[in-house]
Amino acid sequence: MSDIIMMGGSAGATGDAPHDAVHAFERHRAELRASKRVWNILLLAGFAICLGLSIYISQFYPDRLASGVPRIFEYFGTIIPDLQWDLLFEGRTEEGRAVPGSLTYWYTDFWDYVGLIFETILMAITATLLGTFFAFILSFSASANLAPSRWAYWISRRVFELSRGIPEILLALVFVFMIGIGPLAGVLAIAIHTTGALGKLFSEVNENASSRPIEGITAVGGTWAEKMAYGVVPQVAPNFFSYAMLRFEINVRASSIIGFVGAGGIGQELNRVISFYSDDRVLAVLILVVLTVTVIDLISERIRHGFIGKENF
Amino acid sequence: MLKLEKLTRKFGENIAVGNATIEIPDGQMVGIIGRSGAGKSTLLRLLNRLIDPSEGQILFGDTDIAQLSGKELRAWRSDCAMIFQQFNLVGRLDVITNVLTGRLHTIPTWRSMAQVFTPRERAFAIQALDRLGMAHTALQKAETLSGGQQQRVAIARALAQEPKILLADEPIASLDPMNAKIVMDALRDINKQDGITVICNLHTLDTARQYCDRIIGMQDGRIVFDGTPDLLTTAMAREIYGAEAHEAFNEAATSTSIPAAQPVRELA
Ligand SMILES: Nc1ncnc2c1ncn2[C@@H]1O[C@H](COP(=O)(O)OP(=O)(O)O)[C@@H](O)[C@H]1O
Ligand SMILES: [Mg+2]
Repeated sequence: MSDIIMMGGSAGATGDAPHDAVHAFERHRAELRASKRVWNILLLAGFAICLGLSIYISQFYPDRLASGVPRIFEYFGTIIPDLQWDLLFEGRTEEGRAVPGSLTYWYTDFWDYVGLIFETILMAITATLLGTFFAFILSFSASANLAPSRWAYWISRRVFELSRGIPEILLALVFVFMIGIGPLAGVLAIAIHTTGALGKLFSEVNENASSRPIEGITAVGGTWAEKMAYGVVPQVAPNFFSYAMLRFEINVRASSIIGFVGAGGIGQELNRVISFYSDDRVLAVLILVVLTVTVIDLISERIRHGFIGKENF
Repeated sequence: MLKLEKLTRKFGENIAVGNATIEIPDGQMVGIIGRSGAGKSTLLRLLNRLIDPSEGQILFGDTDIAQLSGKELRAWRSDCAMIFQQFNLVGRLDVITNVLTGRLHTIPTWRSMAQVFTPRERAFAIQALDRLGMAHTALQKAETLSGGQQQRVAIARALAQEPKILLADEPIASLDPMNAKIVMDALRDINKQDGITVICNLHTLDTARQYCDRIIGMQDGRIVFDGTPDLLTTAMAREIYGAEAHEAFNEAATSTSIPAAQPVRELA
């Protein structure tokens, strides 16, 4: 191997100086790689132990899976409607009865379902609006760079942690006990969770806001609230909006489930048909739920991207 | 009259401004020079209380500005406008709203929170903009403007405050010579026509000499020169700028003079 010719410096003066640097570097690199290897092995071992434990606890064994899969199909068998091609679009008879085997028969309660899905979406909208409102209000004092005082920071942080720490379904149960069965319990539960989840995201956005405009508003003699309204909000509003829309998508899903504990929406009906009938009505409701969630996701994504495009960030 | 009495600000052990004692009569145009880290920005920020002093007094009339808090402090800030090297506008708000924030102090809270401004307030803001030749940009977002334009909007915001004192922290340091001249001319006009005291941190010597009635030189937090521009000798200026003398005396860098002003050529 021929020596690399060094340009300038003191390399020419002492012949083996560059060699020393190269050797030192190679030694250092080897050491670093060795220590990294140890870490990688330790991490891999840790992961393997966790995986093994979780397989053991959940009894995730191939034979159990093998015996379970047919039962899934069995269940599907019971909820698949018995549709007949020639009767598919048959209307009601003169006495107002639907013909078995027709879509009308399968979806006898179609308009009830639609009403409930509408209720579900309204629940999601109300909960998102409420949650976004409280997350917005508290997010400024929950940001390290903006908090008006140490205790305001501490309190708003804890409020966020608490409200996103408790699972929605648990909150819904409590509210159903407190204020009775119905959508209000679901809305409150989801709104509280939304406050916590969005609050954390909002305050992180706030912490990345540039301090220059805020300083500008301080220098004109603005109050704390004016600094937030003029110095911070214009910077963070597009991000807030985007996060709130994303949360709305999540909340549509949440509000179609939360009815299982009696907190309103389509989930309540889904729970009823599963526990009382377990027939083709289950699939009828399920299809509508999946359709709703998908359509809402698509629309909301459109809006978000359109908005982001306009604000170009 | 603005009077500083032994004004001191420490950051830990580091004395950013030490024992500053100055009197500034109303209507003067003062330039503060010094190498970076000399304490110029700290001094200006102390004056409108963006930072609190460690010791000493800031007297304006009979009030000690150093003791103000809450509502009175905000009133003082509104009387003592500040413009910054990086403009500190709200980029996502339109220009007119940025200028209107200069009037926040006179607007009741419910209106400022709802961003409701009266036609009179809007007219006032437009007139301020027009004075700086920026009225045509009123409905544009501030971030779409060039640096020089943003600084003019920032000056309009300061004017909207109807201040008694205008502080400027290196207002031309991020501008090209052409825009630097426009901004400095605007500051001088405001000083001469409205009688507003202007205190301006400047990096280049020739600009300070050209525009200011009085120059204050700072070095390591202390005031080492205070007098009219003609009293500032070359030796003194070299001493103040130290290692940065070359840059500070080089009118081609960030100065306002196109072509170079006479005194600078003598120095260089
Ligand atoms: N917020 C701060 N925290 C700590 N030290 C600071 C702070 N602001 C300024 N300093 C120090 O105070 C001294 C003066 O700074 P500054 O007033 O910005 O100088 P200049 O504006 O003349 O360049 C410097 O040594 C700087 O490091
Ligand atoms: Mg500075």
